[in-house]
Amino acid sequence: MTEVERPVEPLAQRLLRWGVAIVILGPMLWSVLGLEISLTRLARAPGLTWTIVSAMFPPDLEDWRKSFDAVLDSIYIAWVGTIIGAVGSFVLAFPAARNLAPKPVSAVARFILSSIRAFPELLLAILFIPVVGLGPFAGVLAIGLHSIGTLGKLSSEVIESSDRGAVEALDASGAGWLSTTRWAVIPAVMPEIVAYWLYRFEINIRASAVLGLIGAGGIGDRLVNLLRFRDFPAAGTVLGLTIVTVLLVDTLSARVRRRIITGRWRRQGRGPVATQPVPVG
Amino acid sequence: MSTSAAAASARPTKPRPSPWRWVIVAAVVAFTWFAAEQTRFSIPELIENFTRANDLAKEFWPPAWEVARGLVDPFLETIQIAVIGTIVGCGLAIPLSFLAAYPTAPGTAVRVISRFSMNILRTMPDLFWAILFATAVGFGPFAGAVALSIFALAIMAKLFSETVDAIETGPLEAVRATGASRFQAVRRAVWPQVRPNFVAYAFYIFELLIRASVVLGLVGAGGVGTSLNRWRQFFQYDRVMVLVLITLVIVLTLEAVGALVRKRLS
Amino acid sequence: MIELRDLSVVYPGGVVGLDSVDLTIPDGQFVVVVGLSGAGKSTLLRAINGLVPATSGSVKVDGEEVVGAHERQLRDIRSRIGMIFQTFNLVTRTSVLNNVLCGRLSQVPTWRSTLGLWPTKDKDIAFDALTRVGIVEKAYVRASDLSGGQQQRVAIARALAQKPTLMLADEPVASLDPPTSHQVMRYLQRINRELEITTLVNLHFLDLAKEYAERIIGLREGKLVFDGAGDDVDDDVFRDIYGRSLTADDILETPTL
Repeated sequence: MTEVERPVEPLAQRLLRWGVAIVILGPMLWSVLGLEISLTRLARAPGLTWTIVSAMFPPDLEDWRKSFDAVLDSIYIAWVGTIIGAVGSFVLAFPAARNLAPKPVSAVARFILSSIRAFPELLLAILFIPVVGLGPFAGVLAIGLHSIGTLGKLSSEVIESSDRGAVEALDASGAGWLSTTRWAVIPAVMPEIVAYWLYRFEINIRASAVLGLIGAGGIGDRLVNLLRFRDFPAAGTVLGLTIVTVLLVDTLSARVRRRIITGRWRRQGRGPVATQPVPVG
Repeated sequence: MSTSAAAASARPTKPRPSPWRWVIVAAVVAFTWFAAEQTRFSIPELIENFTRANDLAKEFWPPAWEVARGLVDPFLETIQIAVIGTIVGCGLAIPLSFLAAYPTAPGTAVRVISRFSMNILRTMPDLFWAILFATAVGFGPFAGAVALSIFALAIMAKLFSETVDAIETGPLEAVRATGASRFQAVRRAVWPQVRPNFVAYAFYIFELLIRASVVLGLVGAGGVGTSLNRWRQFFQYDRVMVLVLITLVIVLTLEAVGALVRKRLS
Repeated sequence: MIELRDLSVVYPGGVVGLDSVDLTIPDGQFVVVVGLSGAGKSTLLRAINGLVPATSGSVKVDGEEVVGAHERQLRDIRSRIGMIFQTFNLVTRTSVLNNVLCGRLSQVPTWRSTLGLWPTKDKDIAFDALTRVGIVEKAYVRASDLSGGQQQRVAIARALAQKPTLMLADEPVASLDPPTSHQVMRYLQRINRELEITTLVNLHFLDLAKEYAERIIGLREGKLVFDGAGDDVDDDVFRDIYGRSLTADDILETPTL
């Protein structure tokens, strides 16, 4: 019987697997050593965390009003910030779309969006405070600006991946650029873009909660002060309120997004709400 | 055929647009107005402040480059925190996602509990985790790393479990039918399908974590944020500017590298 | 009248789309273009309305030169040319009526069309076009809720709304089943006769071509290899155009025995 030669796994594939392992373990090792994370610290962490967390129960509902107002503030800041983000990103998304705008225009627009996006909202808020003073206004501007960046990028990607057929048809009929965009592109991309606005609102609620840390409104600095004075039950209230509020907003927003994209309110089957903030593949 | 009365009457009547549309628009506008008031949002004030630009510019510009050297180590620390957060968080997210996803969950109870925990974990902002852990295990980058790990875990678990929800169950059923264990089936029939998504999410989360890591120091969780906090409290905005510019360069570079890698992989 | 003189299209990369094509189509004629995929049928149609730029030669539509025309002029010429596509190219998320009104975009002031404030005259034209293709009752239905054949008819209505002198159809029935294909071809034929609109159709199926065409153009590798009546297409001619003998793939309906 003739021997069948078995193919050997190609070198490139083996190297790839080793490469991936190195890429993951290398930086991990470097980081762990760099931060001087010892096993003992690691082992003691869960215990310490549990001590604190258990001290938060039962939460102190005495001063809940103050915390509640602060949470409301966070909602207002996140809302206005998201509106600013929606409007601003809508304007910038079209010049940034490589299939709609000439190359130099889209390159500039994309660069602007990338630069805005590079900064965490907190950093932007720090920069806005000397301009408009302490208080929620700085927070709104910070969240608004950052949202323009992220929403701008996501919206432009939606536009870039939209079906070109109707655009070709309107081009062939002699319609101008504005008319073609308004009638062939916008109806096709609006549901996804609006869904992204809602998704951004969910994220902005979290961002605005944190802004209080630098005095830009929201519940963040209340939390820090309570923990500093080791008032754990009250801190528990703050955390609890945050969790409940965000959960509510998340669930509501998810329902509305589902309705916008699929036309129905309830989940049919097991699919996700079709809004992925990440470009995949 | 010209427009005769007979032809015109063959046209269908225009359906009445639902009133809901206007109710929603009105509600949105009203709430925005209200929220703007509450947050003291004012465009005139904004314009007025921006025309003070010249005085302001002196506070920010030129950047105090002399502090750049002292920022190298903190920035490295910042990056290290983000690396650990990404790897640990995404790594832990894998089992959680599989437990929470419809095709791979070992039973409804486990699935519901996993989903619920995932949603709860997701509600907390990154800095809240940082504050919490800084209080528990002490200030410093260790707290930051743990905080960002949990943060990354929450985000990745949600994204990844949704991806697993949407897979083709055919290969999975086929492998289970051969008597393979649940773990083996997932590893061989599900993982290859979802691996590209996982990698894409991991890159996205890393970029997210770098940004979060920059401001961790504001609550004492390590990284350049510690310097940032000190400078902003003393209104040393020209130094803040240095930090801002370096952050910009790092994030943009990472983005460009990420895009290149993604292009190469597909 | 359409006049093509020595028209050549070479795509970047060197692929030859059209090779020195000479063609004159008088007003009101119903012409079908046949040939293999890649033979240049699509290129020919798109060169006529400038969607594909010509490398050399001349294309004159009603006396106006398309090759090298600048944007304003090109849009003007295109407003008189209606085009329908294999994939219909409708805006799926909006109503049938809105789709047909898009055919009027080149004639309505931009601010009015952008805000959706279409003049009555243009709405009348749109409804007329829908009536002519027999689906006026679906005017307010969402385009994606219609069947393939109905969507193509909406596309035809959109083209008609332009009040064109020339109609281009790029494989209009390739995505449709046989009975619907015949229905669409009959509409195109009726429009050609009743409104005297010059019509140029790309078809994949030879039997359809022979049934509806007044005149058949055969393309092969970008060159014009046949120009005559449907009855003149025998086996030899077929081999000239397709480079092989007739197969079942080239016929829409296999004849019942």
